[in-house]
Amino acid sequence: MNVFIVETDKTGLQKFYKEIIGKFETYAPVEKFGKYDYKKVSKLDECDPDSPIEMTMSVKPLFFPKTAKVMKFREDNTGTTVSETDEDPLTGQRVILGVKHCDARGLQVLDQVYKWDYIDTDYQKRRENTLIISTRCDKAGTQCFCTSLDYDVENSDAHDIRIVNGLDGKIYIQAVTQKGEGFVKENLSQQSAVGSQQSLEEIKKHYQLFEASFRLKMNYSEVNAKLQKLFDSLEFETVSSNCISCNTCAFICPTCHCFKITDEKIKDTGVRYKSYDSCNNGYFTLMAGGHNPRPVKYRRWRQRALHKFVYYKERFGMNLCVGCGHCAISCPVNISIFDVVNQVAKI
Amino acid sequence: MCKVDKIIDETPDIRTYRLKMNDPVRMKSFTWMPGQFVEFSLLGHGECTFCISSSSTRQGYFDCSVKRAGIVTADIQNQLEEGMDVGIRGPYGNWFPVDDIKGKNLLFVGGGIGLAPIRSLIQYCIDNRKDYKDFTILYGARTSSDMCYKEEIEEWKKNPSLKVILTIDKPEETWKENVGVVPKVLEEVVKPTIENTKVITCGPPIMIKYTLVSLDKLGFDPKDVITTLEMKMQCGLGKCGRCNIGSTYVCKDGPVFTYEQMKRMPDEF
Repeated sequence: MNVFIVETDKTGLQKFYKEIIGKFETYAPVEKFGKYDYKKVSKLDECDPDSPIEMTMSVKPLFFPKTAKVMKFREDNTGTTVSETDEDPLTGQRVILGVKHCDARGLQVLDQVYKWDYIDTDYQKRRENTLIISTRCDKAGTQCFCTSLDYDVENSDAHDIRIVNGLDGKIYIQAVTQKGEGFVKENLSQQSAVGSQQSLEEIKKHYQLFEASFRLKMNYSEVNAKLQKLFDSLEFETVSSNCISCNTCAFICPTCHCFKITDEKIKDTGVRYKSYDSCNNGYFTLMAGGHNPRPVKYRRWRQRALHKFVYYKERFGMNLCVGCGHCAISCPVNISIFDVVNQVAKI
Repeated sequence: MCKVDKIIDETPDIRTYRLKMNDPVRMKSFTWMPGQFVEFSLLGHGECTFCISSSSTRQGYFDCSVKRAGIVTADIQNQLEEGMDVGIRGPYGNWFPVDDIKGKNLLFVGGGIGLAPIRSLIQYCIDNRKDYKDFTILYGARTSSDMCYKEEIEEWKKNPSLKVILTIDKPEETWKENVGVVPKVLEEVVKPTIENTKVITCGPPIMIKYTLVSLDKLGFDPKDVITTLEMKMQCGLGKCGRCNIGSTYVCKDGPVFTYEQMKRMPDEF
């Protein structure tokens, strides 16, 4: 890991942020009714990069939009012509501030499915042209369990730069990737104090306090091993009984990536769209002719839980759940994926 | 983009669409293997996954057989006419192991519209007849009018190197062939030899299920039983997540699987 660290203070950091907002297209958490969403900002006052974990949406839509145009088509006397949409996925460099570690990890996990076999160029372009600056949470949220999973939160390299609010009152700006290092050198005017072993210690201390604040903890390898054998568990019926199949959990999830394709046609012209879908939706696997392998809730929840904790890991080597707890916070009936997997695995 | 060259009525609810690409150069270079599928768009109505039911050994066109089942398939049957344009993406997915089954006896077991992917393979094997040994085709449908590719089946029957066995579920006055469901006929009439034989089966889920049971009973090795799975698909690119069975993407890793591979998957069907 890169150890390029700059020490600064609150005003220094704000100046850094202001400079970024002035120079680049910037996105950051913006508050609305006590919850936060990543939005485009033009002034630092509008946003709060230090926001708590209460999100209405993960960072996912900035890379994988809720609805995207795939193509256009037009019919006339000679036949049908198909053309690309005029939407440009991303122009120029973009910066996202205040990304949570879990959200950033979510992108790393999504990369796996987008880069195997067919490569989604729009997604790739957005990823390449975006610089991610994350702020490490000072304290865990009520539904957080990122430290219990299969990735190293402390040394995560899912973001380019991370900001740590040191216990000694200093603020540490650490470049994690080469891209991040170049960015800091170019855009941070007062790089007077380049961090030393001392600052690494401070960052570690901050992490220890952060880690101790977690309410939820699980033994990931045990859960993963047990779930592999529990496809037929009756417990899935119990855990899913409250679910109202509203799909909120999937839409807000940083890693859920299922989508559906629909056509819209008015007179002679039309557009094909790609939009979010979810395995919790009863129509998700309904086939023409009426056959549906997952007609009941527990089967859909089984797919959801096992896809997150077993199948994706098996296929791509990463757990599909990043432990952000967004789904549990937003669920209208208080189902938490943490409880679901623990209850099924009986731990 | 492709043009509909010809529409063939197979049964009251199945039609075969013979398609040609608008660009003849691309049509010439378009090849596929038996068992692969395409995404078929009636623009403005939606996209559906259909297997290609003809073989690439017969060049210049390809066939998709469409059974009226859902919204898009109904729209296709109601509105698509000869000379109209449709959008085609593909071919996607894996294919029948045409090289592995060389030098083997082949037993094709099809039911209803499930004959479509097998027809592609049968045509392929007929066109490469010397590579394969005995051919047996067992095909069942609910009634005699529900049988698709009737003319082609007549041709197959005339071909001395093929053994064709037909069956329908319930007796009919003019019907002279077998009566009974496919697994029953398989056990009682076909009585296949197990040695050096590969079975290729496709049909409605319930037929596949009991056919696999019968094949087990007859003593077939699950490795020698090949089927193509039906699963809702949309993107065909291993992204949209719809066709996941366990960690398998049916659209990329399939749709052709052996019974042995199916046994290792979670029991979603």
